[in-house]
Amino acid sequence: MERVLILNGSPRAPRSNSKRYGEIFAACYGENAEICPVTRGNHQELRDKLDGVSHLLFVFPLYADAIPVPLLDFLKFLEDHPPQKRPAVSVLINCGFLEPQQNEIALEMMRLFCRQNRYPFASSLSIGSGEAILNSPFRFLAARKIKRFARSIARGTPQTLSVTMPLTKKWFVAASTSYWVKYGARWGTTQAQMQTMEIQ
Amino acid sequence: MKLILSDCPLSIQLPDQGDVKWIDLSRLNIANCVGCFGCWTKTPGRCVIRDDAVKVYPLIARSDTLLYISRIKYGGYDTVMKTMLERAIPVQQAFIRILAGETHHVQRSVVPKDATILAYGDTGEEERAIFRKLVARNAHNMNFKTYRIFFCREEEVNDFTGKELKAWNVC
Repeated sequence: MERVLILNGSPRAPRSNSKRYGEIFAACYGENAEICPVTRGNHQELRDKLDGVSHLLFVFPLYADAIPVPLLDFLKFLEDHPPQKRPAVSVLINCGFLEPQQNEIALEMMRLFCRQNRYPFASSLSIGSGEAILNSPFRFLAARKIKRFARSIARGTPQTLSVTMPLTKKWFVAASTSYWVKYGARWGTTQAQMQTMEIQ
Repeated sequence: MKLILSDCPLSIQLPDQGDVKWIDLSRLNIANCVGCFGCWTKTPGRCVIRDDAVKVYPLIARSDTLLYISRIKYGGYDTVMKTMLERAIPVQQAFIRILAGETHHVQRSVVPKDATILAYGDTGEEERAIFRKLVARNAHNMNFKTYRIFFCREEEVNDFTGKELKAWNVC
């Protein structure tokens, strides 16, 4: 089985959903997977790890419709400091919107990086409703798709996969409103306060 | 108001009038968004990181005419502009609405905008095609009423900017 380095490109890596997705992947994949966060100070260390793996998995959230800055910076570092042997690259991306296709542009950016820098692109998994799905009754759908994604990497059979909550858009709006109202309540913030139109 | 955000210094002369504001992001101290959701749930509309970004995103919200000038990387905004755009999420609410058949965040007091994007660098058609799709998607999340995209080489940025400002009747 190929050795996989899982890089968590979330700006809030230690307590991110990307960390949870990476852990589910690693549990499916087995002992040949290692998870590391991408931080401002560890680019060289991560690049050195690439020499020992045959597969690189980027896990990250959609930020402003694209790749988050910490990961963008790491990609630029890799461009300037390529490893001796380039591993195959797969991507697991999640967004808070219902539609996994809202991740498509960030995926295209990752594929472009791979083409420009001669990394073989393998599989992708695009997750919609990614902020909440792991805490919902639909967690099993995400877990099942991650398992299939891990299998595609282990077998070297690239796949393009996606998953989201099986809800109508209106139901999703209602469910996400409830989710965020509860989130605000942790800080003592009411729904009306969260809906302020004021920008400071 | 009209707002110019650039990721580099420009050789332009702006009249001393309140309606037009130019910000060179490369001269500001702007940290990365840490994804804490504080601006949505803890201090709504207010970023908890009080660096130079907090002077910029209220101006983005208030402007009706925008010019973004950015280097392009992998078909997206390069680091300087992208850092600012990520830090601008206090202009949105956590809550979701349906817009153009998709789910998107509700906006706070964000004026609808006529946006012009000047993307510079040594880009090929493939990279430009991705960037066009990105801006089309940004339009939903950044309240662009209309948008135009221009591509140029780095050494052409000042000329393109000057032409655009003439079209605004600014210079």
